[in-house]
Amino acid sequence: MLLQLNNIFKWVNNGGNTTFLLKDINLTVEEGEFISIMGPSGSGKTTLLNVIGMLDGFNEGEYHFLEKSVHQLREKHRSALYKEYIGFVFQAYHLIDELTVYENIETPLLYKKFKTAERKALVADMLDRFHIVGKKDLFPEQLSGGQQQLVGIARALVSRPKLILADEPTGNLNSRQGEEIMDLFKKLNEEGVTVIQVTHSEKNAAYGSRVIELLDGRNVTP
Amino acid sequence: MIRNYFKIAFRNLWRHRSFAMLNIGGLAIGMTAGFLIFLYVSFELEYDDFHTKGNRIYRVITDVKTPTETMTVSNTSWAFAPHLEREFPEIESAVRINYLSMLVQHGEKKYNEDQSFAADSAFFKIFDFKLLKGNKNTCLQAPFSLVLSETAAQKYFGDQDPMGKTLKILEEGYPVRITGIMEDIPENSHIKGNMVLSMTTFTQSIDKDDDPDNEWGNFVPSAYVLLRKGTIASALEKKFSGFIDKKVGQSLSIDQMSYSLFLEPLDKIHLWSDRGSNDKGNINNIYVFSVIAVFILLIACINFVNLTTARSVERAREVGIRKVIGAKRSQLVMQFVGESLIISILAFFITLVSTRLSLPYFNQLAGKNMDTHFTFSVSHIFTLLCVALFIGILSGIYPAFILSAYRASRVLKGKFSGSSRGILLRKGLVISQFVIAIGLIIGTIVVHHQMHFMQSRDIGFNKNQVLVMNTGVNHAQKAFKQNLESIPGIASVSLTSAFPGWSNNIAYSQIENNNGDFQKANIGIYFVDFKFIRQFELKIIAGRPFSEKFATDTTQAIILNEKAVKSLGYNKPENVIGKRFEQWGREGEVIGVIKDFNFTSLQNEISPLSLRIEPSRTNFMAALINSEDIPATIKKIEDKWDVFLPQKPFTYFFLDEYFDRQYRSEIRFGRLFLSFSILAIFISCLGLLGLVSYSTLQRKREIGIRKVVGASVTGIVNLLSLQFVKLVAIAFLIASPLIGLVMHYWLNNFAYRISMEWWVFAAGGIIALFIALVTVSFQAVKAAMANPVKSLKTE
Repeated sequence: MLLQLNNIFKWVNNGGNTTFLLKDINLTVEEGEFISIMGPSGSGKTTLLNVIGMLDGFNEGEYHFLEKSVHQLREKHRSALYKEYIGFVFQAYHLIDELTVYENIETPLLYKKFKTAERKALVADMLDRFHIVGKKDLFPEQLSGGQQQLVGIARALVSRPKLILADEPTGNLNSRQGEEIMDLFKKLNEEGVTVIQVTHSEKNAAYGSRVIELLDGRNVTP
Repeated sequence: MIRNYFKIAFRNLWRHRSFAMLNIGGLAIGMTAGFLIFLYVSFELEYDDFHTKGNRIYRVITDVKTPTETMTVSNTSWAFAPHLEREFPEIESAVRINYLSMLVQHGEKKYNEDQSFAADSAFFKIFDFKLLKGNKNTCLQAPFSLVLSETAAQKYFGDQDPMGKTLKILEEGYPVRITGIMEDIPENSHIKGNMVLSMTTFTQSIDKDDDPDNEWGNFVPSAYVLLRKGTIASALEKKFSGFIDKKVGQSLSIDQMSYSLFLEPLDKIHLWSDRGSNDKGNINNIYVFSVIAVFILLIACINFVNLTTARSVERAREVGIRKVIGAKRSQLVMQFVGESLIISILAFFITLVSTRLSLPYFNQLAGKNMDTHFTFSVSHIFTLLCVALFIGILSGIYPAFILSAYRASRVLKGKFSGSSRGILLRKGLVISQFVIAIGLIIGTIVVHHQMHFMQSRDIGFNKNQVLVMNTGVNHAQKAFKQNLESIPGIASVSLTSAFPGWSNNIAYSQIENNNGDFQKANIGIYFVDFKFIRQFELKIIAGRPFSEKFATDTTQAIILNEKAVKSLGYNKPENVIGKRFEQWGREGEVIGVIKDFNFTSLQNEISPLSLRIEPSRTNFMAALINSEDIPATIKKIEDKWDVFLPQKPFTYFFLDEYFDRQYRSEIRFGRLFLSFSILAIFISCLGLLGLVSYSTLQRKREIGIRKVVGASVTGIVNLLSLQFVKLVAIAFLIASPLIGLVMHYWLNNFAYRISMEWWVFAAGGIIALFIALVTVSFQAVKAAMANPVKSLKTE
């Protein structure tokens, strides 16, 4: 078991009214799964992804990640945990504009204090694997959307996470680029990486092994 | 990691070039101004600090008391120094310095050397003025010995070795032997001069018959003593009254006078002393400028913080990404502080260059002569670097903490807007900038108003078109005068011993007061001729002016000013007419009273003054020119001079310029104040400009919506400008009372001063508001004119 959510509640108070973002979410994810979270706008997909990614907290419930109780961890240990095991991919790519492709991929390694030689090897690996060696000195704005997303995925993968969280990774791409990216996720999953993606598209969801459907913060998976 | 930070920082600067230029430029300008002021302040503070025995050297100063007043002087009478040295074992040695303005000739070369002085033989032993040639123990022993500075040696002897050669000095042309060459006296010495004559030239030769070494009543030379190690100056000071009693107690008590001697530490003379020359520094100015320097740096720092936090919206996304891919908060803080350090280090280098470029102008402005060697000394550069790094960290740390605190999940969702706390802070910072700027503007107006007041005030005499020459008292003087009077462009020529702005003699006088007693007092004295009162347009308010019709006027008549009459206790000036006086060996009657005129700077109250006819003491000639063509008239005067006074070089000056020179340090102060105010305002505006452009950028969407629903361009410009008007108004309310207090304190330095009126403050506020509005409106108009469709689409 990779992670387990038990009775997760998350709400915000808005001038006396309490709005539930997540209501009683229970979810167990095994290593090697490829899960798609679906649901209409405002159903809490991204919130759930952020909770899983430990970017957001929750108000009630338990969260176990690799036998550790996340809800009892202090901020410092929690961030150490997600840095170690989780990689993020965003709809808007979120690359750092001032850094080249190479440097963008390298940055997570810098924060983890990898040695220079190791960094070089790991980044070179990634560039190779995604066939973007020729683009390594370009800046994000010089790339197409699909290429930017490739770099985003390379950056998420470079520190060898167990889990990839992808928030509508193809949302800003045309269908051909989208397919390439989804194929890539599929391939990564086959290599053993657990993937959880948020998506609107049935087609993309079909790449996964399991679909979780949300409505108004509830898990309504049939 | 560090390399990554650097890369990001540089690329960031490059990408936002105009922003970076505002930031670095503003900081560099602020740092340059701060550095120049720092140099000025340390130059002033380091005055006279090169004497190795400096902590044991003291200047002897005197308070001379008469029944009516106390005169505080920076000098001593001739006898003090030699007798002090003999009397007190605590005093290792003593030296007198007497400033001279002497004629020096060498072959064809003939100069009037203003920068020269006579000194006792201990001079080079007490002070560390370096002798390049000659023996420091003996070079000033023999009469008619002269030590030249390198510059003076070059001037008279070129590349030849001057040692042992002779020059002719004074009008009599005494030959003097060159016994030493000294390094030029450093700029930061309060003792200044190009040549040092042995004091024995006067005491043992020229003035031998007057026995100067035992002359107790004539206060001329400055005296310095070197105390033995371990001597406590204040303890020694206490013994001086006994010494005075023993030496001259009797004669002083007859004259109802007393002398008090004090020891003034050498390092306090330039800045702290309340007596001495006009060129003296002023510790208050040092404080004022230090405060201004800190303010300017503060303004620059505030800009820095403001611009950086204003950009936080843009950088928030980067922070979010970095956090998601594993950055710790401390790493982000490091990154942002690093960036601001890079900016401040760049500003540091620009500051070095701009300081080098602006140094000559600053020297001119400040009336100093700081060379590059002094300016770029290791300690100064090190200080500047430390300040730069300090500013970098100080200005970087706040934005760094703000930026690094963003929650990744929020900013990446795009739910980010500037926090209200941040906006409040920026407003507060802008207000404090404008408090400083408005304060400086009002201060500048007050300083210049006061300067103008002093220079244009009715000072009670005519100083315009008066050319003054030092002819000396000699036979040729009379003939020269008559010849000048015949020149068409000259209305009148008068002879005098002093004129307004020139320090006159003080005479021990006894005049019959209101009670019929002879009142003893030291009062100022002008020796004049019959034309003086008319030519200088002094007003007689009682009695009559000097007249050639009365034979006794040359020997037995005195004219007093109102102040002197009041000090004698008379209510009406008429009552003093006909009263008896005794002064410097003459006696007679008071024949007239003149209206007070300002014969010294307006910083001082008018003091009692007496006028007497004394042709043997009137060494100055003042010519009133009524011709339009002044240069031609001067040429005619020079031609006559060369005929009658060929032994002297022709030198002259205009009375008004000379008189105004008393205000040199105030005028300089005013100019420096003005320059730094302009700088402060300029830097504030840079910051405002940056801030406005960012705030309009953030409100682009709002502006677009407002336009779509029908707002006019003027409406939007007003909307954008109004917020800054409010800030300036608040700043004005804070600044006015503060600067009012400070300027009130400053004005108290002047005996004759303006009163600060409301319009001064209003003007300061309006100028600041106007400048702020101009700065803001460019951006505001641009934003208001933009097509709303565009700004709404990009959202």
